[in-house]
Amino acid sequence: MSTAMNFSSKSFKPRPPDKGAFPLDHFGECSAFKERFMQCLRDSGYESSACRQRAMAYLECRMERQLMANEPLEKLGFKDLIDEKSEAKPEK
Amino acid sequence: VVPGETALAFYKAKNPTDKPIVGISTYNVIPFEAGQYFNKIQCFCFEEQWLNPQEEVDMPVFFYIDPEFVEDPKMAKVDLITLSYTFFEAKEGQKLPLPGYQ
Repeated sequence: MSTAMNFSSKSFKPRPPDKGAFPLDHFGECSAFKERFMQCLRDSGYESSACRQRAMAYLECRMERQLMANEPLEKLGFKDLIDEKSEAKPEK
Repeated sequence: VVPGETALAFYKAKNPTDKPIVGISTYNVIPFEAGQYFNKIQCFCFEEQWLNPQEEVDMPVFFYIDPEFVEDPKMAKVDLITLSYTFFEAKEGQKLPLPGYQ
C-alpha cells in the first residue's frame, strides 16, 4: 500500500504502529485537552519539547476514557515528567 | 521535535458526504530515507475508522524519531520530515472527494 509513485527500486513500506491504533474520539471527550496542547504549540512556536506536559495530559485523558490502552506513562517517554511530579508532591 | 523524545501530532478528518463512511489510512514519510527512523507508538492508521455524515474528528499520532537519526550522515542535512496520511474508503465502488487535512 504505497501512495508514492516512483521508479526507484526501493518502495516505501508502511509499518504498523507499535502499540496499535487509537479509536476515534467521536464525542470529543478529550478535545479540551487537545486544544490546550495545540495552544501550547502555537505559543511555543511549535516546539514539541515545550508541550510534553500537555501531550501527557491528553494521553491520560484518553486512557481514562478507554480511548487508549492503559500504558504506564514512564513507558511512553514521560518518565522525567513523572519523576518531577512525584518530587513536587511532598511540598504540599 | 527532538529525536528520541516522544511527540504528539494531530490531523483532522472530515466526512463531507451525507452517508457514513468507513475509511482506512496509510502514511508516507518524506524524505524517503527518514522513514526508517520514524516510529509510531500509536496512531489512527491501518484500522478501519467509521465516520458519520458530516462528522469531523481529530486524529492523533504519537511517535518518536529514532535517536540514531542524529548519527546518520545521510540525515545531516535533513531538518524537516513530513508525515502525510491518505484516507481511502474501505468500501468498493463509491467515489468521494479526498478530505483536507491540517
